[in-house]
Amino acid sequence: MNPVVGVAAFAAVSLATAVIGFYGLRISRTTGDFYVASRTVKPWWNASAIGGEYLSAASFLGVAGLILLSGTDALWYPVGYTAGYLMLLLFVAAPLRRSGAYTIPDFTEARLDSRAVRRVTSLVVVLVGWLYIVPQLHGAALAIRITTGLPAWVGPVAVVGVVCFTVVAGGMRSITFVQAFQYWLKLTAVAVPIVFMLLALGGGDSAAAELPPPSTANPTALAPAGPYQIISLLVALLFGTLGLPHVLVRFYTNPDGQSARRTTLIVLGLLSVFYLFPTAYGMLGRAFAPDLARSGQADALVLLLPGRMIGGVAGDLLTALVVAGAFGAFLSTTSGLVVSLAGVISQDVFGGSVRGFRLAAVVSALVPLGIASMTESQALAGSVGLVFAFTASTICPVLLLGIWWRGLTDTGAIAGMVTGGVLCGSAMVAGSVLGAAQTPSWLAQPAAWTVPAAFAVTILVSRATRGRVPRTMTRLMTRLHTPERPLATER
Amino acid sequence: MTRVRVTAPRSVTSGSVTPGSAASGSAALTGGRSAAASQEAAEESDAGQLFVRSLIRSQLRLGLVVALGFLLIMLAFPLVLGLVPGLAHSTIAGLPFDWVLLGAGIYPVIGLSAWLYVRTAARNEARYRDLAGDK
Repeated sequence: MNPVVGVAAFAAVSLATAVIGFYGLRISRTTGDFYVASRTVKPWWNASAIGGEYLSAASFLGVAGLILLSGTDALWYPVGYTAGYLMLLLFVAAPLRRSGAYTIPDFTEARLDSRAVRRVTSLVVVLVGWLYIVPQLHGAALAIRITTGLPAWVGPVAVVGVVCFTVVAGGMRSITFVQAFQYWLKLTAVAVPIVFMLLALGGGDSAAAELPPPSTANPTALAPAGPYQIISLLVALLFGTLGLPHVLVRFYTNPDGQSARRTTLIVLGLLSVFYLFPTAYGMLGRAFAPDLARSGQADALVLLLPGRMIGGVAGDLLTALVVAGAFGAFLSTTSGLVVSLAGVISQDVFGGSVRGFRLAAVVSALVPLGIASMTESQALAGSVGLVFAFTASTICPVLLLGIWWRGLTDTGAIAGMVTGGVLCGSAMVAGSVLGAAQTPSWLAQPAAWTVPAAFAVTILVSRATRGRVPRTMTRLMTRLHTPERPLATER
Repeated sequence: MTRVRVTAPRSVTSGSVTPGSAASGSAALTGGRSAAASQEAAEESDAGQLFVRSLIRSQLRLGLVVALGFLLIMLAFPLVLGLVPGLAHSTIAGLPFDWVLLGAGIYPVIGLSAWLYVRTAARNEARYRDLAGDK
């Protein structure tokens, strides 16, 4: 493949990101701007931005790669990623917006009236963020290596560099515009090559005649997933989305609870449209590029397929587009996570100033860079799936019970987060020590037992410490669930 | 129906406001004409709390019903594929049926559930506003 294509595509995306970042710089001046865009972002912009931020390396590269590897079993990943937003809409979106807090630690502190809960939540949020950035950087390493032939470390370093630059320069306001742009970039980058590939197929004799049935063409000898694995994966994805720090922080940019719901509805539409395309790549890949699965390069399927099916200049151009989309995915998810982590770290460590926010942003991008350079890339969708399991076992119980259950106490919340974190964390460590082939499925997909365990511990300990229900609880529950005042006084 | 006002809980809760939590956003946005303070007091009275509790209950019930309905439909997909022999390998427009069902068919169900929820949740809130504002 022509190495200039990859470099040019990455340079173009980075430049566009930086330009939009600078454009945003002019409007963001106060601390409030830096954190949540002063809550004046319109639902369509906000929904595009949420979509842009959410569609990570796992969605852009990982889903197609996993479908190439394991066929219909992998179709549950995009379904779970999307349905997670449905759960977020049903149980979290509007109340969380009405809580008026900036970050998840802000929310738990206000709800439970406890500094200790805040500290534990902050720790978990930072851990989740770092775990989630690492696969993005692995994706960047893979993309740089495959498309340009440069050493793999160039990818992660470049991504972290661009992200630090934009976040430090513009804060959240410009991030919103950058993210919205990234969604449409990713959708274009993934959709246009598919159209051309299908046209190329149709230009042959007959598309249907050429396309071998993907379910029969199994490129690997992987056993099909059992019901336990599918259910556990769905538990992780459905409940994990609720607790993702970079997703939650977006809801604070909605003006009120109603518009938070409307935004989520649009996000669901945007995600549903997007995920049709990685699925199509996976399907075409099973028919036309099964060798990638055998050579362990399944995650590169989206990057390589257009060049394979359409040669020459057209193929190069389409490859450039896909590479641009992939880097858009790494950049947008990483910057979203860095912003939300910086918000948490700067408030807890640096006292919440703009300077502290910038410093915290650099810290929260450099640590995962170190981790990524020391670890090996696994299947992207799989490793992100594990982060969802971790979030579902730690933040999700506190968030759901905090919003809907009056009996939650600070002791219960801490006990639940620690239980879920320790159980799920040990399963993840055990899985990586044993290796993919040796890990039993209950360790490889731990969510089905760690999430109920975390819920049970949270509830039982809260019941046992009934006296610690904060006195502000009634007031806060009212605030979370009642519609905003201006609407109430209109009548 | 006669309404008994109990003043004790009001003074307790209004005395223990968390700093920063009450003053932000919503109250500041209220127009000058409206009586935000009296509205808040009404919410904290026993009758007000009754409305709030019933709102929370109905929103939770709505969320659970929609979630359960969606999960049942989603679980029905693989069951149907497994139970009806030959269905998974039949084709629609040249594409295998199981791929079409799982890869594209679930998304409209998600969208429809979400749309139904948003509509009904807004209706629940409108009903609450009618009740709470009706003095």
